[in-house]
Amino acid sequence: MSESAISIRNVSQRYGDAGAPDSVLALDDISLEVRKGEFVCLLGPSGCGKSTLLNVIGGLFKPTSGMCHVAGRLVDGSPHPDKIAFVFQESTLFPWYSIIENFRIALKFQGIPQSEWDDRAMQALKAVGMSSFASHYPDQLSVGMRQRVNMARGICVETDILLMDEPFAALDEQTRMVLGEDLSQLLAATGKTIVFVTHSLAEAVFLSDRIVVMSARPGKIKTIIDVNEAHPRSPDFMLEPRFSELRNECYALLRDEIRSTMAAQRDPQSAGA
Amino acid sequence: MMSSSRSSLAFWLRLVLVAFIFAALEIYGRFYADPAFMSPPSGIFRAFVERILPEPKIIEALFLCVLQIAAAYGLSILFGTLTGLLVGATSFSRSAFFPIVLLLFAIPQVSLLPLVILFFGLGPAAKIAFGFSHGVFPIIMNVVAGMRDVKELHLRAARSMGASRSETIRHVILPHAVPSLFTGLRLGMTMTLLGVILAELYVSTGGVGYYTRLFAENYNPAPLFALIGCLAVIAILFNELVRLAEKRLTPGLRRSAALTNLVKE
Ligand SMILES: Nc1ncnc2c1ncn2[C@@H]1O[C@H](COP(=O)(O)OP(=O)(O)O)[C@@H](O)[C@H]1O
Ligand SMILES: [Mg+2]
Repeated sequence: MSESAISIRNVSQRYGDAGAPDSVLALDDISLEVRKGEFVCLLGPSGCGKSTLLNVIGGLFKPTSGMCHVAGRLVDGSPHPDKIAFVFQESTLFPWYSIIENFRIALKFQGIPQSEWDDRAMQALKAVGMSSFASHYPDQLSVGMRQRVNMARGICVETDILLMDEPFAALDEQTRMVLGEDLSQLLAATGKTIVFVTHSLAEAVFLSDRIVVMSARPGKIKTIIDVNEAHPRSPDFMLEPRFSELRNECYALLRDEIRSTMAAQRDPQSAGA
Repeated sequence: MMSSSRSSLAFWLRLVLVAFIFAALEIYGRFYADPAFMSPPSGIFRAFVERILPEPKIIEALFLCVLQIAAAYGLSILFGTLTGLLVGATSFSRSAFFPIVLLLFAIPQVSLLPLVILFFGLGPAAKIAFGFSHGVFPIIMNVVAGMRDVKELHLRAARSMGASRSETIRHVILPHAVPSLFTGLRLGMTMTLLGVILAELYVSTGGVGYYTRLFAENYNPAPLFALIGCLAVIAILFNELVRLAEKRLTPGLRRSAALTNLVKE
């Protein structure tokens, strides 16, 4: 368990050339170790660089400086689909393919032999209770059903690491909670390492082993909060006093950040970008 | 239930409106209009049966017109799609070449019609060329637009799954462009028809253009309208053809609509 699945060392990311007026330092010297099997949430105000950090881990681009290793391999701006799967918002499903075709294409892109496609897809769909919708098209499903399918698509490629970028952002509060529970159960069964981006406090506390609270402009790690609670978590966890304490702690940390971001937006001169 | 009874009501209402317009034209044509300029629908139909159908030369001219449209449209689809794919392939090729397409499209082509006739002669070639030059641009523009508007999220997802460049084009960019391609094909069909028929009417030494002029100059509105009606029917048939192809080939439109309504949570 103590092995490092993801190791981020001194990663900085600047968009645009340093010195240019529109240049943004999105990540400033971030270092973070994620253990094997750990569920880590990146929590922070929007624009603080959460997606940027996730994309660096996933190899979608090379950071301006610093290094990131995944399973001992250097990730240097090219994806490792055999090790890492992404789950974005539900609208990532390709609308021109039916659900089962969406799975096949993901498995094809990843280089899985064709003979395994349908078995894997159906297994993953069954795990999220959506196997009867295999031949439907994404826009025939509700948003919640789509995200369930989209999660299953990320899981069926069977990578050790799952990176999730605000997967529930388009869902209503109740559906979010239900999918959060599903996720907690699915993951307890697979032992995957997960980095999950959210700006929902409850979601972060409910799902995480550790919550990485980030500050904005430039994006830095402000604090890391431990949540000592075994997976899978039941909804009862939300009723415990410890849940609200953790939630309040996160809120207090974030509130300052959000206030300073808003102040910076009102008065760009004081922004330290 | 609700929606089906509504749509059948809409259908009947539409039918009543069309019947009303025909009746009004009939009454006006019979009792009020100058017979040198206007004929009632019944007269047009009689002219179609008595003057157009038995005249093999007119039927031949109409048939030739259909062939010209088909040829011009086929060329438009071929060149329009290929050019669109090449221009739209990368943001670099788009910024390099798309302005040329836009510029050419902006030229009012009718002004070039005499030149086209001069160049291609009085035969079918000029009409095909003019139909093609009308039809090809909407297709190029829409293919390029369809490829450009592909969602960043879909591209990122494909890349994160390990898709190669060619897999991304084949499974993400092209399927995304299909609805837009069909918009282009529909517009292209309308424009091709316009181009061919404009050229037909302009060149009045033979073909449909000759007969329309003949009837018009002899103040013979019934066969003239019958001939124009034939062109309209040809146009409608071509457009239906494109619509059917769109319905069959657009991914996601293949499924039945009934299923869609069933499973919404
Ligand atoms: N491709 C890009 N080009 C320029 N700036 C970007 C780009 N992507 C993100 N940014 C900027 O970097 C900062 C962090 O963005 P992001 O990582 O998307 O934040 P988050 O996911 O936390 O909302 C934001 O200020 C954003 O405007
Ligand atoms: Mg983001």
